Amino acid sequence: MARTTPADTQGRNAAASFDRPLRLTARQDLVGYAGSLAGRALLFLVAASSVLAVLLIFTFIIKEAIPFFLEGGTLSATLGRLAEVFGSTQWYPEQDPPEFGMLSLLAGSFYVTFGAVVVAVPLGLLTAVCLSDIFPFSVRQVAKPVVELLAAIPSVAYGFFAVMIVAPWMQKHLGLASGTNALNASIILAVMAVPTIVSVSEDALTATGRSLREGSYALGATRSETLVRVVIPAAHNGIIAAVILGMMRAIGETMVVWMAAGNAAQIPSPWWDLAQSVRTMTATIAGEMGETVHGSPHYRALFTIGLILLVFMFVLNMVTEWLLGRMRHVGGRT
Amino acid sequence: MNVSLRRFGDTCFTVTAVGSVLLLTAALVIILGPMIVRGATAIVFQGTIEFRQMQLTRHGRGDPAAVARQVASTNEARRPLYQALDEFKRGIDTACLEDEARQVYTELGKQLRNRNLPAEQLLTIRRHARHLRDTLVDAFEATDKAEARRRLLEVLAESDDPGLAGTVGERLFAMARDYQAGLDTLDLGQRQEYATALKEVQEALRKLLGPRPGEPTPPLAMNRYGATRMDLVERWEDDLLYGEKWVQKEPGKPLVKVRINRETEQFQGTRLASLFRYWRENRDAIMEPAFTVYWQYLIDDSVPGHFFGGVGPEILGTLVITVLAIAFAFPLGLVSAAYLVEVAGDNVAVRFIRMCINTLAGVPSIAFGLFGLAFFVGTVMDGVRCVLAASLTLGVLALPVVIRASEEAIRSVPSPYKEAALALGASRLRCFVTVQLPAALPGILTGVILSMSRAAGETAPILFTGAVAVGPALWEHPVWDWAGQQTRALSYGAFDLASNDRIAAMVPHQQFGMVMTLVVLVLLLNGLAIILRWRISRKLRGR
Repeated sequence: MARTTPADTQGRNAAASFDRPLRLTARQDLVGYAGSLAGRALLFLVAASSVLAVLLIFTFIIKEAIPFFLEGGTLSATLGRLAEVFGSTQWYPEQDPPEFGMLSLLAGSFYVTFGAVVVAVPLGLLTAVCLSDIFPFSVRQVAKPVVELLAAIPSVAYGFFAVMIVAPWMQKHLGLASGTNALNASIILAVMAVPTIVSVSEDALTATGRSLREGSYALGATRSETLVRVVIPAAHNGIIAAVILGMMRAIGETMVVWMAAGNAAQIPSPWWDLAQSVRTMTATIAGEMGETVHGSPHYRALFTIGLILLVFMFVLNMVTEWLLGRMRHVGGRT
Repeated sequence: MNVSLRRFGDTCFTVTAVGSVLLLTAALVIILGPMIVRGATAIVFQGTIEFRQMQLTRHGRGDPAAVARQVASTNEARRPLYQALDEFKRGIDTACLEDEARQVYTELGKQLRNRNLPAEQLLTIRRHARHLRDTLVDAFEATDKAEARRRLLEVLAESDDPGLAGTVGERLFAMARDYQAGLDTLDLGQRQEYATALKEVQEALRKLLGPRPGEPTPPLAMNRYGATRMDLVERWEDDLLYGEKWVQKEPGKPLVKVRINRETEQFQGTRLASLFRYWRENRDAIMEPAFTVYWQYLIDDSVPGHFFGGVGPEILGTLVITVLAIAFAFPLGLVSAAYLVEVAGDNVAVRFIRMCINTLAGVPSIAFGLFGLAFFVGTVMDGVRCVLAASLTLGVLALPVVIRASEEAIRSVPSPYKEAALALGASRLRCFVTVQLPAALPGILTGVILSMSRAAGETAPILFTGAVAVGPALWEHPVWDWAGQQTRALSYGAFDLASNDRIAAMVPHQQFGMVMTLVVLVLLLNGLAIILRWRISRKLRGR
């Protein structure tokens, strides 16, 4: 607290002596009103900076990506490009003629994300249940920072771990040809997605409220029955949102997949073989942007990948918003 | 259902759930443990005399007299190694020996000319010397032991020639005697194989001990010193003590690589065998290990490839980028949060703003990188990749984090604070600035620290906007110029050392040291945030 100086005290006394008229003149009133309005407008403008940022991100990525489709100048050329991008697995952007089939990149992103979600969802959900219902308060105080620290480790450190420790281990103990593969990336991504899933679904589980649980216990259900049959179904909106958010973290992750997934633009065959190298969309952008010429088709193709990623994320984000909104709505009513 | 069965199911569920938490804890330990422990060896380790010598010549650190003393004693300890090497080389490297014999002959000619002998005598001596030289060269070139020995005896038979006494010509006899001594232990047919292995041994020794005393200084900094740490000595001495050989174990099968012991297999019975024993027995005298705390790792620059030196430029770069990013994000984020909490109602515009904040938080980091490249680098900076572009990009990334944290902190200020201030006649602005903001400040700071730790760890957004793997440190430019320079950063450095840098792969302590520094920086920031939050929650509970 600031210390009050004698001068200060005097000033306050002067203000408190009411030698100014209490009622404002019309002019003062107007100025005050205009000032507050201007202040509000200014604040609104600053608050709208996020809107500006989002608009700029979309505008500039679209601006750099769109010429990729309009290069040919004709409708058929544009359609041909679209068919190539989404219908071919041949990604050879620096060849002559270049090929821009992004199917294998999309598949790569899908593989590692799917692998990560399969591991992370049960793990994250069980941890959330532990934190919300099983652990006493004191244990929770210790367990929560563990999850938070997992979220705080930078992604490049996860990637480092994947490359320097997991990859040699896999090569040595699992007998794989290469330690950098979809399996390695999936496991690390799972660990990275868990904190997101835990924090969002824990919120959802807590939001269901005490009365629901007490009702279930009163009917003679055990704790696991209460959780599995009552609480989790009641919190399903939030839990689905948690899973989507975890998925988004895995799809959008760059460094880990770039370092650990092996970067071979291929669809694994046989399809279930996670021990093969894949290359994701994010890793392609990160790995190839440095070698492209500004404005070349390859450069634009990378921005197109970015755009696909961005749109995908945007849609998923909208779905989460809707789900979380419903959760709050339902939570508010009960 | 049976009650005991249900109870059993319940226990199983609890155990699985607790197990998953334990699994996460184990994951945290497994991930952080090796990084921090192995990274710490970049700072605390057993340093050798080579390390102290490097610190003295590169940075002027340490006591010159003590280092000079140690250098002298280690050089003394190293001499037998080089001696054994040279002796063995004489029997192997015949081209070199032949050159030496020819050189002796040329020098002899010069020496005789200066003596003013009668022309005839001079001619006789020279002819004789030429004959000796040619016989010696023949002996060196011979692949048959008996023949070589015969030639050597031929040369040595004339060793009491008075004409050559007291001249350089006597060296020819010394060389013959050396070669004769070595001949018994050598298999001349394997000379080629020996020569290859010898080259490996020499290379391994150079890596361990640095350039030989008296050799010119190598141009590359990484070749100027030997192994600076005992863990490197242990890693690299493998090349000295063991060789590799491709052998065919079964006919028709592909060749397989086998490890061979140089002392007991490869150089068995030769004079070089003693070198390996000497190395094993006198390693400490040769390297002089001592416990070293190299805290300057955090401020030193490194040679390219991070072979020596520290991560100073990376730390500075990361700090500058992060602090600038927060300097952009914090004012915007704080004002946005204040607006959203205190002023905004629930209308379409505000809902749109909230949606945009959530969208911004969901944009993948690589998309921020693309945006930074297209907008900040391409449009604002006119194509220049620099610290400013990188930190602006990171600022946009940190914006939603700051907004959310500040919003929460402002909301958690108890409403009586505000009500009391308003009741005392303060305007809303004054109430916010003098009452609510100070109360919310610790919470806001927590959010800012957390967003700093997030920004410091991000790599993808700075990949194309301002980070480089190799380049001058920021401190080599004046401070006001920093924003316009490219810089090295911890996150990008950790990636580069792990994935791209071949030289760094030889020095794992440098790879782990870089990532350890980043992780510790992030963990420190997070720890600070956790402590702050704990204090706030204690205060709010009224203790």
